[in-house]
Amino acid sequence: MASADKLINTDVPEKDVFAFHFLQSLSNLRKQNPFDTPDQKNYRVRKIKKAAYVSMARAAGGSSRLWSRALLRRADKDDNKIVRFSRRKWKISSKRRRSNQRAPVVEEAAERLRNLVPGGGGMETSKLMEETAHYIKCLSMQVKVMQCLVDGLSPK
Amino acid sequence: MDNELFMNTEFPPPPEMATHFEHQQSSSSAMMLNWALMDPNPHQDSSFLWEKSTEQQQQQSIFDSALSSLVSSPTPSNSNFSGGGGDGFLIRELIGKLGNIGNNNNNSGEIYGTPMSRSASCYATPMSSPPPPTNSNSQMMMNRTTPLTEFSADPGFAERAARFSCFGSRSFNGRTNTNLPINNGNNMVNNSGKLTRVSSTPALKALVSPEVTPGGEFSRKRKSVPKGKSKENPISTASPSPSFSKTAEKNGGKGGSKSSEEKGGKRRREEEDDEEEEGEGEGNKSNNTKPPEPPKDYIHVRARRGQATDSHSLAERVRREKIGERMKLLQDLVPGCNKVTGKALMLDEIINYVQSLQRQVEFLSMKLSSVNDTRLDFNVDALVSKDVMIPSSNNRLHEEGLQSKSSSHHHQQQLNIYNNNSQLLPNISSNNMMLQSPMNSLETSTLARSFTHLPTLTQFTDSISQV
Repeated sequence: MASADKLINTDVPEKDVFAFHFLQSLSNLRKQNPFDTPDQKNYRVRKIKKAAYVSMARAAGGSSRLWSRALLRRADKDDNKIVRFSRRKWKISSKRRRSNQRAPVVEEAAERLRNLVPGGGGMETSKLMEETAHYIKCLSMQVKVMQCLVDGLSPK
Repeated sequence: MDNELFMNTEFPPPPEMATHFEHQQSSSSAMMLNWALMDPNPHQDSSFLWEKSTEQQQQQSIFDSALSSLVSSPTPSNSNFSGGGGDGFLIRELIGKLGNIGNNNNNSGEIYGTPMSRSASCYATPMSSPPPPTNSNSQMMMNRTTPLTEFSADPGFAERAARFSCFGSRSFNGRTNTNLPINNGNNMVNNSGKLTRVSSTPALKALVSPEVTPGGEFSRKRKSVPKGKSKENPISTASPSPSFSKTAEKNGGKGGSKSSEEKGGKRRREEEDDEEEEGEGEGNKSNNTKPPEPPKDYIHVRARRGQATDSHSLAERVRREKIGERMKLLQDLVPGCNKVTGKALMLDEIINYVQSLQRQVEFLSMKLSSVNDTRLDFNVDALVSKDVMIPSSNNRLHEEGLQSKSSSHHHQQQLNIYNNNSQLLPNISSNNMMLQSPMNSLETSTLARSFTHLPTLTQFTDSISQV
């Protein structure tokens, strides 16, 4: 499988890189919201989650991966920042029509994956699977780091 | 006659011959072979007059015999070389041999023996047919053979000799019938037609190259029309060349699907340009033992035996194989997927895994938010301020999202090594993806140790600030 990996090139970011980014974003969060009110808890949760994803996307190599780019774009959109309008949606439809002829079993699974993986809408199945592999790696790394943090910072 | 050509050992190579010969080269090529075969006494000043001396008739006759021997020799060995092309090659060979003789000037006696044996093998039959020249003629020939070193050194000599052979044939057409016996004359007449074709130098070279190249690829065989000409029947003209190329395909290829598959492969390339972005190397999957084509921008595919060679089906097959390849990659990532077989089940498993990971992230973020904020704040500040980190090369500091611009400055200033935490995190085993309690305890213990000493410091600073 090493050869396949070389071909497909799934580089997993270093954990410390991600951790650093994540911690920075968290510290910024703290600075922004010094007091934790129960009303804002959901808001905080969402913010933390978003911070986690964004830092993960950044750690995973900025825009070198499709899903990271889509994630960052989504984050920008939520923050009401100006986002470059992408014509990818139109490409998706044309590609979907062509790809639907093949292996319907695979295709329906790919459809579900597209909903899960960010930025999966504009990809062919083969590319989608590549992105999924990288996404899984990054997600698992993020989970580990967050788990460590939580366990480390929780009261003993 | 060839025996006599090389038999005489008593003539040392005159050094003057070289100079004479170099002058000679500028003159017409016809002179050169003439000179080679009928050299009079070199010391005479009339050496320059060889070309058009009164001895020309004699020389021509001698040359006739020599040429006829050359020409008639390949007729028994037509199986090896074909027609006119073979003549040129043999001439070249002979000239090479003559050159070799001239090279070893010191041991003249022995050398003349060996090429004779070689030539005897090639030209065994015509030995009897040409009229035996006189000794004087042989001596003259001997003298002329020695300076052939310069001839052989001349790179264009072979071509010129080949051209001259056709010269000779043309010029001798009238004479051979008179001078030589009938069969030789007939041979000359027959071979003259072939010899004229030898004049094209690419045909000469083409003879050498097909022997050098192996089975070759289709593209080469299609393009090289002169190759085909020389290899096949020499009488065949340009019109059958496309048919030749097809026959070459059939000869070279192993399956009948090859030619159609080539077209399919070409069509397939166009399709691939649209579909694929990365050129992953060759998609050369064939049961044949052909060497793989070099990978270009697109992927080359060969149709397997017994499978459809339609371009669409080829593309489908490649795509399916790609998907299968990546599925295997995913299988390694997702735990517990090894037992599951089949694409559908595995994909379901993968989807479940991704969903579970995302849920975990959400859950952990909730937990983080509920952690003691002040404590986290201090720790994070301490970590950020104290520890440093070398950012990875891939990372770009985006100024989007939650991070403010000031943090980027901090980040750049703190280009230290993220020592403490980096020591911690690699301890986490990368193999196990699932959050099992023993592993977590290990992680948390190592992390907690690092975190324990920090709060003391921060508490200290906090207390100081309060005071």
